[in-house]
Amino acid sequence: MSIRTSELSRRGFLTGSLLVAAGTVLTTACSTDPTSGSSSGAGTTLNVWYHAYGEAGTQQAVLRYAKAFTRANPDIAVKVTWVPGDYAGKLNATLLTDAAPDVFETGDFSERFARGGQIAALDDVYGSARSDFNTNALDSVTVEGKPYGVKMIDDVIMLYYRKSVLSKAGITPPTTFDALAAAAKELTTKKNKGLFMGNDGIGDSPSNAVWSNGGDLVTPDGKVAFGSDRALEAITALKRLHDDKSLLLGFTTDWWDPSAFAQGVVPMQWCGLWAMPAVQSALGDDFGVLPWPAFKSGGTPVVRVGGWTGCVNAKGRNVAAAKKFVQWLWIQQSDLQKDFAESYGLHVPPRKSAAATAKKLSTGPAKETVELAAKYGKSNPGTWDTAVSSVFSAAAAKIVGGQGDPAALLAGAVKKAQGEIDKQLGR
Amino acid sequence: MNPATDIPPAPEHAGRPAEVPRRGAARPRVARPRVGRSGWIAFILLTAPTLIGLGVFKYVAIGWSFLLSLSDARGNISLGNWVGLDNYRTLLADQAFRDSLLQILLFTAFIVPVTFAVSFGLALLVHRVRRGRALFRTTFLIPAAVSYVAASLLWKMCLFNGLPTGIANMIGGWFGAEPAAWIQSTSPPLYWIVLVTLRLWLQVGFYMVLFLAGLQAIPKELYEAAALDGAAGRRLLTGITLPMLRNTAVAVLLLLFIAAFQAFDEFYNLFNSGLSGTGAAPVQTPLVHLYNTAMGSQNYGLGSAGAFLLTALIVGVTLLQGRLTGFGRSGE
Repeated sequence: MSIRTSELSRRGFLTGSLLVAAGTVLTTACSTDPTSGSSSGAGTTLNVWYHAYGEAGTQQAVLRYAKAFTRANPDIAVKVTWVPGDYAGKLNATLLTDAAPDVFETGDFSERFARGGQIAALDDVYGSARSDFNTNALDSVTVEGKPYGVKMIDDVIMLYYRKSVLSKAGITPPTTFDALAAAAKELTTKKNKGLFMGNDGIGDSPSNAVWSNGGDLVTPDGKVAFGSDRALEAITALKRLHDDKSLLLGFTTDWWDPSAFAQGVVPMQWCGLWAMPAVQSALGDDFGVLPWPAFKSGGTPVVRVGGWTGCVNAKGRNVAAAKKFVQWLWIQQSDLQKDFAESYGLHVPPRKSAAATAKKLSTGPAKETVELAAKYGKSNPGTWDTAVSSVFSAAAAKIVGGQGDPAALLAGAVKKAQGEIDKQLGR
Repeated sequence: MNPATDIPPAPEHAGRPAEVPRRGAARPRVARPRVGRSGWIAFILLTAPTLIGLGVFKYVAIGWSFLLSLSDARGNISLGNWVGLDNYRTLLADQAFRDSLLQILLFTAFIVPVTFAVSFGLALLVHRVRRGRALFRTTFLIPAAVSYVAASLLWKMCLFNGLPTGIANMIGGWFGAEPAAWIQSTSPPLYWIVLVTLRLWLQVGFYMVLFLAGLQAIPKELYEAAALDGAAGRRLLTGITLPMLRNTAVAVLLLLFIAAFQAFDEFYNLFNSGLSGTGAAPVQTPLVHLYNTAMGSQNYGLGSAGAFLLTALIVGVTLLQGRLTGFGRSGE
């Protein structure tokens, strides 16, 4: 080997190492948390977590709120972490570590956090505003008499339908499950399916089915109720939608994103009020809203009321400051609450005073939706955590897929779910 | 394979730097060149970071996890609430976990031989090619550099989405097939096609390269000698190539088994839809089940117990395979 090549290879080695070093720097830079916010010389820094809302501007809004809070409380800086993907999984894992958020939001409040001592009781945060929250918003976060979170937004989840498509096919908006299944089948063409409930073909439909036939998921005292005959009847009936092949499956986004409906891929979709601005801008007024229909005529239609709740990490280092933040933002700043509920996706403010004056909720389909929620609104019980819900949806998925005896599958799920809930309640 | 095997024989307590030089100096090993003081210092300096890192980040964590598997740890990872073997019992009695074990066994029984055969076949073909071998080799290897997550999203959204415009459905449409929901159909279970093609695409290139390396290490003289003796074609393959590739093949098999048992990424990403998790997924591997148990339901005791059961399964299969194929015995 000549000297020249050896020199070259040395130089090559150097270049290579520099490239590797540069690559390392780049990858580290990319893999840091998607955090931002203000942290200028304050004594305390609060770490606040949000899941990635899909609507443009939401992230900028929460950053703005954080800055405003620091202006009002110069000794407390706020670092906002915007979490894409599996929010619950990342939250659960991070809560065990030093990097745990001081304040975080949680969708469909689960009592498990409170009973496990992971979140702080917030009775001292509410003050006189307590009576201004709607009953469901307060009840859903209350464990053993104390509120453990502040509901930030109520999310109403209902059925969107395309008026022009239905009327062209001579179909009236369905008011029973039979009518819904028939409509979905009728509207299914060679190119398009009739109904979108979720990419897995399940979505919220099993719990909707149970409620729409007068059943219940779990009673307030923690007894699993989805094993009743009514529940079985309604869940088994969902199989028809699958057998008819009238469900849209495997779309590129899931049910909480209005793309499938707004792009005209399906004429009926189970989605939320948050998506209404996007639907409106795509379809104008060529759409209507419906509750999930009653299982039989005379039964109860269902809309689901979910939403996000602000919680304070009880094991964090800055519990007092965290409570101050939650109180400031979600109790005191009614303007910001209104902005958050109305300016990006559309949500219902859980404060009665705010909801009454919300302009966008006072007309058209948004108004109808709010009325439907007041009349037929159902919320998942506080014991309905992932361990329980996944047992339920796994059984439902098998039933509608025709794998095994429905009654046995449901009974097995009841037993397992009851075990989980008993553990949760420390029984 | 394990980097630890390359480290020169260390005194038993290499982790305690203060003791090592004295022991090394007092009792020099027989039949080995004497290592001076500076040699030991260099050895310690070079190995200590790895050993300390391994100790802190692996063995402490593994030990903690084992203790957790004997505790009732919900929503926290503190020890003390001992429940003995309850977690193991719960898990083994759980139909969902037993199903996941059965499914992973079936998946392994299918994917391991197929990957093995395809990558071996490709290696033979690419080895034969005279011109453009580098091109073929690179083409087949590139998918191995793609992450499982990225590939899963590609498969889910572009190739196998449920719309008539999905690539698989479009191709099916040319032949008059109805558009199918590939990932959600349970009867027939079309999702296996998605899972298997994805894993093959990602893995075959890598194992092909291992086989190629083995093929290139076979001395040409053997083939020439055999040719002189009149052997050709199949005879060369069964008489020379296969026996000489034995070690490579056994190592590939071992890696394939472990990779199959640890399947997670594509199962999670294909069936997961962001916020609602994988509860309704038609197939859950043990790791997905355990991920949901620990990360979804915050039941860390049960999750840890499952991790140890799965490890035991992998170790068991590996040992059995080692015994059957004679891994580590032959060759030298």
